[in-house]
Amino acid sequence: MNHQSSGALPPQNAIAQWFAGVGRVTHATLEHAGGLGILFAQIVVATVRLKVSFRSVLNQMYIMGIQSLPIVLVTGSLAGIVTSQQGGYQMTSAVPSYVLGSLVVETIVLEMGPVLTALVLVGRIGARITAELGTMVVSEQIDAFKSLGRDPVAILAAPRVLAGVMVLPLLVGIANLIGIMAGVQAANLTSGLGQESFFFGAQLFWHSFDLGYSATKAIVFGLAIPLISVHMGLKTKGGAEGVGLTTTQAVMFMTLTILILDAMFPPLLLN
Amino acid sequence: MIEYRNIHKSFDLPVLTGVDMRVESGEMFALFGPSGTGKSVLLKTTIGLTIPDMGDVEVDGTSVFRGGKRALEAVRQKVGYVFQHSALFDSLNVFDNVVMGVPEDELARMPRMETAAKVWEALELVNLEPREILSKIPSELSGGMKKRVGIARAIVGRPEVLLWDEPTTGLDPINTAAVERLIQQLSKQLQVTSLLVTHDVEGGLLICDRVAMLDSGTLRFCGTPDEFRACPDPVVQAFVDRAAAEAALDMVSDVL
Repeated sequence: MNHQSSGALPPQNAIAQWFAGVGRVTHATLEHAGGLGILFAQIVVATVRLKVSFRSVLNQMYIMGIQSLPIVLVTGSLAGIVTSQQGGYQMTSAVPSYVLGSLVVETIVLEMGPVLTALVLVGRIGARITAELGTMVVSEQIDAFKSLGRDPVAILAAPRVLAGVMVLPLLVGIANLIGIMAGVQAANLTSGLGQESFFFGAQLFWHSFDLGYSATKAIVFGLAIPLISVHMGLKTKGGAEGVGLTTTQAVMFMTLTILILDAMFPPLLLN
Repeated sequence: MIEYRNIHKSFDLPVLTGVDMRVESGEMFALFGPSGTGKSVLLKTTIGLTIPDMGDVEVDGTSVFRGGKRALEAVRQKVGYVFQHSALFDSLNVFDNVVMGVPEDELARMPRMETAAKVWEALELVNLEPREILSKIPSELSGGMKKRVGIARAIVGRPEVLLWDEPTTGLDPINTAAVERLIQQLSKQLQVTSLLVTHDVEGGLLICDRVAMLDSGTLRFCGTPDEFRACPDPVVQAFVDRAAAEAALDMVSDVL
């Protein structure tokens, strides 16, 4: 039988192709993981050796922090409003209404604040870093740094990663705060729950560890976003098309990473 | 002196397949060849920007790939590299771009005024008026000016070797001639070894002491410009004829 003419592959070819595909994916994953590990080690070395410009870190903190503040405020407050409204809708007479306070605060602090802020930063900061560094690669600016004896990791990568680790916990803190405040207002307007009852409920189920949990998530996400975006940016190949393709891949990779890391937190820290 | 020994490099397909070439100290050397033959790849191996699959490069006796990190740093410190599209840093102004060419440890010790004087001198050497352009960012400069700033950045650290990667690409004939004169003038004035990768065969033959031609990943010719013109090899002759025809077409299209 002529398999080529019928368009179907012989079974052994199909199996070989499947294994080849699995091999390619595994190879690419391991390559990325290795590359990320090496980049992280290089950043640590550059930081310990004081090769990183403090001014560059401050500049990146401004770009990541202050410039992201409006979108973080909007996202945080909408998360608070929606959680409060949907929580209020679920409440029945069997459950005291002040439980809504606990529901909103815990949902915002443990989940919505860190994850939504991180996802916003993937789009706003991660994509920007990948496109910026990718353009520098294809226009030979990274090669120019190396040819001049400068270390692109110390000059470009380290300030972005350090700024990410420092800025994201602050942004998450702000998102948590604004989300809770918006939640209080929404609970008052839609469910008629007063501020005192709301916070009474919130205190009933509050653990001080929750703040640490939220901050830990923020630090991990703050490390992951710039680290992945820098790594992908520096791996860019080709011209403008390559920059576009790498940026898209980086956004997908960062989003998935944030969601997977988020899923790993409860079994690791909440049990 | 730069010595390339048995350089092999593949990107999916083989690009360089055993190149041996030697550029003597103080000479101006041009490397020709059709597009995609690995001229820029070979140039980038000189300072370790591209790592060959096999072979080594020595710059003044220092091995680029077998000497370790310190040897590579030492080689990079004595080599100035002029990139094809200038590769100026977008976010920095002309002053900060050129300052990057001063070695980091020297920059840390140098008083600010001395640094400024060095940048000023480098810009004047490439026939730019420092007062007018120091604070401009690359997007505010013309193509010819960007090339000159790129050259100023490469020479400000007083290198012993200059590598030129198609420095006249994208320039009109007047600017091309001006940049070629500049390359010749700077190479003599700074007493450096120059290796020029170019498509402009006539220009290269005019200003260089020796020339070489890469074809299909290997060195097809190496000798003086006169020997190159008289070379009976049909591949070399076809390349010279095609280059002359392309130059004539470029000139006609510029006039039109």
